[in-house]
Amino acid sequence: MTSVTGRLTVVATALLIASTGLVAAGTTTGPNGETAVPASSVTLTPEEEDKIKSGGYTAGLAWHTPSDYTAAVDRGAHDEFARLGIEVVAVSDAGFDPAKQKNDVETMMAKEPTIILSLPVDPDTASEVYRPALEAGTIVAFVDNAPTGYVQGTDYATIVSDDLAQMGEKAADAMAAALGEKGKVGYLFHDANFYVTNQRDGAFKETIEGKYPNIEIVAEMGMADPAKAEDVINAFLIKNPDLDAVYVTWAEPAEFVLAALRNNGNTHTKIVTLDLSELLALDMVKDGSVVAIVADEAYAIGETLARAAAASVIGKDLEPFYAVDAIAVTKDNVKEGWFQSLHRDPPATLTGG
Amino acid sequence: MAGKLSQLRSIDPSRYVVYVGFVLILVGFSIVLRDDGFLTTRNLLNIVQQTTPITIMAVGMVFVLTAGEIDLSIGPIVAVSALLSAVVLRENFWFLGVATGLLAGAAIGAVNGLLVAYMRLPSFLVTLATMGFLAGAARWLTDLQSVPVTNDTFTNIFGSGSLFGVPSLLLWSVGFVFLGHFFYRDSRYGAHVHAIGDSALSARAVGIKVDRVRFSVLVVSGACAGLAGLLYAGRLHGARYTLGETDLLTVIAAVIIGGTRLNGGVGTVVGALIGSLLMGLLNNGLILMGLSVSEQLMVRGAILLLAIALTLREKRA
Repeated sequence: MTSVTGRLTVVATALLIASTGLVAAGTTTGPNGETAVPASSVTLTPEEEDKIKSGGYTAGLAWHTPSDYTAAVDRGAHDEFARLGIEVVAVSDAGFDPAKQKNDVETMMAKEPTIILSLPVDPDTASEVYRPALEAGTIVAFVDNAPTGYVQGTDYATIVSDDLAQMGEKAADAMAAALGEKGKVGYLFHDANFYVTNQRDGAFKETIEGKYPNIEIVAEMGMADPAKAEDVINAFLIKNPDLDAVYVTWAEPAEFVLAALRNNGNTHTKIVTLDLSELLALDMVKDGSVVAIVADEAYAIGETLARAAAASVIGKDLEPFYAVDAIAVTKDNVKEGWFQSLHRDPPATLTGG
Repeated sequence: MAGKLSQLRSIDPSRYVVYVGFVLILVGFSIVLRDDGFLTTRNLLNIVQQTTPITIMAVGMVFVLTAGEIDLSIGPIVAVSALLSAVVLRENFWFLGVATGLLAGAAIGAVNGLLVAYMRLPSFLVTLATMGFLAGAARWLTDLQSVPVTNDTFTNIFGSGSLFGVPSLLLWSVGFVFLGHFFYRDSRYGAHVHAIGDSALSARAVGIKVDRVRFSVLVVSGACAGLAGLLYAGRLHGARYTLGETDLLTVIAAVIIGGTRLNGGVGTVVGALIGSLLMGLLNNGLILMGLSVSEQLMVRGAILLLAIALTLREKRA
């Protein structure tokens, strides 16, 4: 699983807003147009850390669906809470079901946690999901999105997410670097109103069009079902047999694109995509079609969110929206990049171990 | 004495495994989680409220399985009913929203029923196909967008309200199981459902309208899923295309563990309730134990496997 597959169906409504005008070109904004502040600015002084450590605080983690991404966010949160002496008393996974997420939050409230960290499955119905926590005075902080109608600073502490525009830009830069800044490329975007993919895809296209005049997007098409990516790339190649590279909106459809290129015996067209996938990375380290995979720092999202929520517990003011950096993982930095994103070593298949 | 002994021998102990298992797990969690809020009224009520939609669908499924059929389409029926109801509730009287949701569920059940009972198609394949169609329809209906429900009367009746201090979802569970139990055990309709599940040929021979009963159990199941959709919409104050998506296996597990036979003829509504509560109890207790998600899945799977092994183990010839 990848970061986006984890969240594609999560952020459904505020997304429409973000994707239809509130997003300034090349700038990551929050689901309600909040300005992104670097995650590195969430800090605690030694005195503040001591105060938190002596507080006997507890936390619950109510995630949305299992994935590599969620596991990395979860690890980041666990590690930071452990460092701050906050005990994680309950962890749950909603399997993309908002009703299950409501059950999970209700259930963990029996342990009266001081903090709940969560990624809302569905912002529109999530105000009911977290109501028991709000009523009990629990500090709630979110990944990616907040429930519709919630007010930052009153109902929730903050949101931490990816720097989505940076991810799109880095994908464009990586593709340009692989092509020597000239060539014909295809653009396979996610055809849906989804805040995460819309911002990433848009930033890629704007960067290519604005920054690299010798790279021409000769084919573009949207897709909603990852399995259909194979049909799309085949259509691209029929019309443009000399296609130099293709941008694919996230890793799962990129795996289908890679399969199509292999089936066609195409070793010329390069792939750039987003979110780590072992299958794609393996092709990349073997000098195959994949030249770059841009990833977010998922571990840092969990770490920052935990730190921010702890800061909120002791009364520190927070910005409404923090964003972590993105990394372009290539053959040359696969080990470091993998670790920076997921905070674990890449699979042995990628490092020859 | 001999009569009593033979009476005792005729009792199938596997039918009561779910009750014993439920009590054992309840006692186990009560001991292990005694300091973690498990035994608070709030938490125990949570379990019942959270399992209410599953319980309602399980009651419908008992009728379907007893008649020797199966309904795989209940998950997306939940979503379609909830979404249609939420759309109607935007600008109409609450009752109209309720009627829309229930009728949508029953109508889809009727389509399933027509194809199964009168076109003589297997229910497994028919409902598998309608499941796929409806999953697409649920996505298409509102273009993947959620629909908020702001009608207080609706949300009080179907979700967060209470009557004389008793949560509405608890009342739905108790009332529906009572009603289902009565129709299943003590009505002519229930007897016909059993007879068809035992042997459709014999049932037809004694004058039971087999096709009509087959048709009706799928309508009942669809309407139950429609009601579950309303309960989800009421609880979440909104509807979404993913509602009910993961419920099918939970419902079937609850019903089977509860003592209903997958191949027809035998079932129990009260057992289905206990099966449903058992599933909710496991979800609740394992989260409160502080297990990681992977550990929760493994422990839940192991306990269910044990329950199924004890309930369904074939008797030696």
